[in-house]
Amino acid sequence: MSVMLTKFESKSNRVKGLAFHPTQPLLAASLHNGSVQLWNYRMGVLVDRFDEHEGPVRGVAIHPSRPLLVTGGDDYKIKVWDLKPQSRRCLFTLHGHLDYIRTVQFHHEMPWIISCSDDQTIRIWNSTSRNCIAILTGHSHYVMSAFFHPKEDLVVSASMDQTVRVWDISGLRKGTPNTAPGTFDSFDTFSTVKYVLEGHDRGVNYAVFHPTLPLILSAGDDRQIKLWRMSETKAWEVDACRGHFNNVSSALFHPKHELIVSCGEDKTVRVWDLAKRSAVQTFRREHDRFWVLAAHPELNLFAAGHDNGLIVFKLERERPAFCLHGDTVYYVRDKYVRSYDINTGADVGLLSVRKFGSPYVPPRTLSFNPAERAVILTISSDNGMYELTSLPKDTAGELKDSSVDGKRGSGQAAIFVARNRFAVLNKASQLIEVRDLSNSVVKSIKPPVQTNEIFYGGTASLILSSTSSVVLYDIQQGKTIAEINSPPVKYVVWSADGASVALLSKHTITIANKNFSQNTLIHETIRIKSGAWDDAGVFVYSTLNHVKYCLPQGDHGVICTLDNPVYLTRVKGKTVHCLDRSARPRTITIDPTEYRFKLALIRNNYEEVLYLIRTSNLLGQSIIAYLQQKGFPEIALHFVEDKNTRFDLAIECGNLDVAMETAKAIDRPECWNRLAQQALKQGNHKIVEKCYQQVKDFDKLSFLYLATGSTVKVSKMQKIADARGDPMSRFHNALYAGDVIGRIAVLREVGMYPLAYLTAKTNGLDELALEILQDAGLTEADVDDVPDFGRASLKPLPVVTDTTNLNWPSIPGGESFFDRALANGNLEAGAAEPYMNGDHSAAASAALDNWAKDEEDQDLAADEDGWDLDAGGDAQAEEGEEEAAAQEEEEELGAGASPGVSETEIWTRNSPFAGDHVAAGSFDTAMQLLHRQFGVVNFEHLKPLFLSVYRSAHAYLTPIASLPPLHLHLRRNPAESSLTRVLPVAVVTLKQVRAELSEGFRAVSGNRLADAQTTFRSVLQSLLFVVIASDSEAKDWRDTVTTAREYLLGVSIELERRRLMTAEPDNVRRGLELAAYFTHCKLQPPHMRIALRSAMQVFTKANNSATTAKFAQRLLDLNPDPKLVAQARQRIAAGDRNPRDAVEVSYDEFIEFEICAASYTPIYKGSPSVRDPYTDAAFLPEFKGTLDPLTRLTEIGAVASGLPAPR
Amino acid sequence: MDSSELYNVKQQFFLGAFKSLVDLTLPDPSSDDYTPILVYKARAHIALDDTKSISTLVPADTENLALKAVSALAKYTSGTDAADPALEELRDLCVEIEGEDADASEREKGLVRVVAGTAFARAGEVEEALETLGAETGTENLEAVAIIVQIYLSIHRPDLARKEFERSKQWAEDDLLLQLIEASIGLVSGKDGYADSSSFFTEQLANPSLSSPHLLTSRGVTRLLRGEIVEAKSDLEEAVAQQGGHEDAETLAASVVAAGLLPGKKGEAEQLWTRLTTEYPTHPLVSAVNEKAEQFDEFAAKYQVPPLAIPTAA
Repeated sequence: MSVMLTKFESKSNRVKGLAFHPTQPLLAASLHNGSVQLWNYRMGVLVDRFDEHEGPVRGVAIHPSRPLLVTGGDDYKIKVWDLKPQSRRCLFTLHGHLDYIRTVQFHHEMPWIISCSDDQTIRIWNSTSRNCIAILTGHSHYVMSAFFHPKEDLVVSASMDQTVRVWDISGLRKGTPNTAPGTFDSFDTFSTVKYVLEGHDRGVNYAVFHPTLPLILSAGDDRQIKLWRMSETKAWEVDACRGHFNNVSSALFHPKHELIVSCGEDKTVRVWDLAKRSAVQTFRREHDRFWVLAAHPELNLFAAGHDNGLIVFKLERERPAFCLHGDTVYYVRDKYVRSYDINTGADVGLLSVRKFGSPYVPPRTLSFNPAERAVILTISSDNGMYELTSLPKDTAGELKDSSVDGKRGSGQAAIFVARNRFAVLNKASQLIEVRDLSNSVVKSIKPPVQTNEIFYGGTASLILSSTSSVVLYDIQQGKTIAEINSPPVKYVVWSADGASVALLSKHTITIANKNFSQNTLIHETIRIKSGAWDDAGVFVYSTLNHVKYCLPQGDHGVICTLDNPVYLTRVKGKTVHCLDRSARPRTITIDPTEYRFKLALIRNNYEEVLYLIRTSNLLGQSIIAYLQQKGFPEIALHFVEDKNTRFDLAIECGNLDVAMETAKAIDRPECWNRLAQQALKQGNHKIVEKCYQQVKDFDKLSFLYLATGSTVKVSKMQKIADARGDPMSRFHNALYAGDVIGRIAVLREVGMYPLAYLTAKTNGLDELALEILQDAGLTEADVDDVPDFGRASLKPLPVVTDTTNLNWPSIPGGESFFDRALANGNLEAGAAEPYMNGDHSAAASAALDNWAKDEEDQDLAADEDGWDLDAGGDAQAEEGEEEAAAQEEEEELGAGASPGVSETEIWTRNSPFAGDHVAAGSFDTAMQLLHRQFGVVNFEHLKPLFLSVYRSAHAYLTPIASLPPLHLHLRRNPAESSLTRVLPVAVVTLKQVRAELSEGFRAVSGNRLADAQTTFRSVLQSLLFVVIASDSEAKDWRDTVTTAREYLLGVSIELERRRLMTAEPDNVRRGLELAAYFTHCKLQPPHMRIALRSAMQVFTKANNSATTAKFAQRLLDLNPDPKLVAQARQRIAAGDRNPRDAVEVSYDEFIEFEICAASYTPIYKGSPSVRDPYTDAAFLPEFKGTLDPLTRLTEIGAVASGLPAPR
Repeated sequence: MDSSELYNVKQQFFLGAFKSLVDLTLPDPSSDDYTPILVYKARAHIALDDTKSISTLVPADTENLALKAVSALAKYTSGTDAADPALEELRDLCVEIEGEDADASEREKGLVRVVAGTAFARAGEVEEALETLGAETGTENLEAVAIIVQIYLSIHRPDLARKEFERSKQWAEDDLLLQLIEASIGLVSGKDGYADSSSFFTEQLANPSLSSPHLLTSRGVTRLLRGEIVEAKSDLEEAVAQQGGHEDAETLAASVVAAGLLPGKKGEAEQLWTRLTTEYPTHPLVSAVNEKAEQFDEFAAKYQVPPLAIPTAA
């Protein structure tokens, strides 16, 4: 509130009374000279005047819901006026007061008017019956003001008798008031004095009720404003505001805030804190005493009347401080920083800034820094200050107050210019300081122009706003990049891609590109409030009463009208997001078609143009005029129905077909002539011909035929001319056609014998010449003085090209697109809808995703029986030791430039996993770990994995040229800062390994068993490098190992069987055994079906029908497809018929067994076995100490600690 | 304050826009900027491993110490037999500028130190480099600080690097190079540091006055470090495209890492790796992996491999 924002000011005679219209921007002012003015304060115009009072008018009021105005003057009259624009007149006059009337007021629901007068009475009038219904007597001096309570049946009055009185008028509502004039006594029964408030030492000028609380405010000639409180039974003085040094003429409660506003004859308007009764602010005027004050019931607006007119003012800026980042608006409401998510509508408070600056002043600007999640606010109180605060990460619980860790300083503007820099402008010293996040100055800039505001100007740049220009200023270089002349720029809005910027002044918008090399200026007569960029690159802005758009090249237009100003934050498709005057997020739905259309035109995006034409209804003269003006008559053509306009447009864009069509419809000579002219220009002589024919322009037609060499048509024209009997035309045509005889005939007919004779003569037609002579009545002798002209050479030129049948090639224009799409204004055959492609690909990728998901689901259906994790205690102990060691070493680190501990070393210290050690490049410890944990002894196969894991964990970058590159290390926990916990990136992840595993599954299904074997082996190798983060991951890991092992075993058995079949085809028994064992590996159902079918096949072949039947039964249990069901049933039936086995095999499905992974023989339950330390595969005891043939990595039976505990 | 031309040259040099720097036409030899711009241009050539053109660029008989230093650096980096004498020459130059009567401006002296420091750092003479550059003496030569910081980082002393950086913040006025230094420190120290570097590179990518694939690569590497592998890959691919399909060692090496970390890209990683090893056999990643491969064989040999379990005839 450091400024009183004057919105409107008028000069007039002394203003004694003021009243705001509740809904329209109107203000009634009653003047000392007897006039009552009605102002539109938004537009700044005098709407009307009411000049019927004689002498000063002191009281004025507007009805809260009806278009009525009441005034009371020194002529003792109360007048009620109709406010409807078409019938502004005095409705009636109330007579009764016997002295000057001081105030008047309408009741909020009853048809009552209250007035008070120097005759020491307060009167209440019924405006329907136009009678006085009550007279309140009791005051012993002039009554200076009297007002209804906004809700209850109470009246408060102030009088020169130094009292304030509260009256109870509830009786008035209940009883039927005596309407008979002259019976004043009966009035007293309806109203009683409730309280008499004594305390002012002089006369009281004004007293009002608080709108909601039981409080009364009074202002008196004792220079005091008194606050009174009332209860049901009594009323008492609470406190007084002292500070005015002359009579206080008026005092009001602020309708929204806990403030008192007063004015007085000391030429001041003062603002007081209602709670503390302390002065908040004082506005002084040089010469004008203030007489009256009015508050708008809804808006943050006040009006004050003084000796020479009135002012309308605001006590605070309504424009909320806000800042858009992505789809989130950060804004300040009621001194809280809030965020509003445009997509979800989530609106949450983030930070309190109540302690920042004056409590009555809202922050002016907000700048948001996404990288640090910090905000800078500025406030205009205390001569301008800023505060830098980080927003809390989670907003649960009580909101943080910015004073906790906010960094403050003084300055009039402060914005972020980089992730860790902000600039602060000090207007007085004209210094811009660039500060870092700890609020220390890193650079000071002396701006090249007198700077009033600064804005973000793109990377390392600022936009400086001065009184007559804006400057794009490079902070690093300290120089001006570009300067644009403009009125003072108040706001700057960058487009989302940072390519364009809109500079908003009070009445102009400058749209510039990012280096200010191009710009356009738009003028607005109405004040510009705010703006936002559409995603398509259109700038949408709001004025006091419109939402408008502006295209990059400067075209602008209205989108919709507004009742109240809003502050646009984001435009998304058809929705405009904005904040209203009370900083509440709102949305406005708009129709963006028009500007989209215009934008598409400008950008030559014809597909979009077509799409818009087809999908929306764009119509109207303005669009057509626009199109024509912008040089797109062919598009305008599409919108036009009117034949004449259509013809004009068709001619303009040279669309002859359409022109022809419309010309036919119109069929007027001037149309045909214009069409002929246009067609001639384009060389389309066929249309020219048609036009000439239509207007019967025979001469031109003939000449056209001559020009095109159409001899046939020329002769036809000759006949037509004959028929018409036009000798001139006949002669022309004969001449064109080279028809000498015809020519002579015409000449003879018209009696031009000399010419006829000579023509005949020179063409060697002597006989004909003689005939002519005879006709003329002459002989040859008569003409022997005629010289011999020789033979005439005149004859038609030969036709070189048969142009008659050819049209001149028409000019191929850039409009070919529209020629196609808009031919005859028909759009059905237009281009494909432009957005289809995107949809298609989206659908396709969705399908892919589904497919991938199916795959994954299948993978997840792995074995359920995991093995116990044997995460040994010694791993824990080991870990402890390692940590201790790490600490020890850290202590040894001294100062100086001795090398520090490398990140790889830290990694090896921090992790017990082989994968991490490999990534750190510590291969020897990795090998030790693998050996200890899984008994790995043969590392040969792991070499590529070792190298690729190491390779993927290290990056190199050269920040400074020619130096050796920095060795950088990829961490898997990039959010970790403590060196004791950083770990290398997980190069091999469980997810990847599972993907590889399913590749193996596919190989099994596809009967590529050798590939499958390699894949499963590689899976088991990769699993060694997986790092486990949780117990559930550890279980998954173990499951994956087991699955891979089972498949590897199964595939190996089957491969062995196939080898055996070719190598020793006679060994049927072994073959059958292997086939049977294959079915005992724990495979997934689809693969198990394959195994069972293969077993059924070989067993049937060997006539082992009993066992075959058992396999068939197992197959049935797996729900195979119907064909297999039938086959299986058949085998079972065969087994029932012949329950015998031809070949005896060592296979009994009823005794539980494991398969030795080396010899592929059963190890029945209870028999001794040794295990693989890694996969836990079983082996016969004789294989202890040998290399596991499955994985080829580990020593069978070696002692191993297993997977270390997850971290 | 530098002239705007020199400022641009420096900006391009620091942000790795060597190509445009190499194509730069030199100002008039009589201008004040001539020598410094020539030095940066020459250093851009060196950065692109184009040491041969230095001899044409810098007159052999130049008396200017800075230019002498640059040609010595060129000789050194060319890696020929001239390397050792070149290093000696730089040492001599360093002694010369310390002398009272050295015929060189302060700026040229600074350049000599920077160039010499670069060469020493390359040679692995950490202590000598730090001493030449004036580490811990509060030098106000920001380029020297940049090299000092990088040396500290390469010997795993981010703490000292940060100290040096904080010191220069006092006087360096938020210079671009200062931000680059901060970004480098961020890359090594991690966590919030990654965010610093990432924002810095992103900001500079939006800088209208230059375009440098090196920046893209840098951001790609930063993103790798932040675990945003897919985004990193797209940065790197763009960098490759900007370099006309023939990427520098750094981009290629980073691409290898990115491919290695993306599931299902093993084949691509191997292919890129093969290219890296053949095209840039001296890249530190290649030499490190080669060294590791040798170590692997050595360590693996320590383990006794038992015979394969073969079933005796059953």
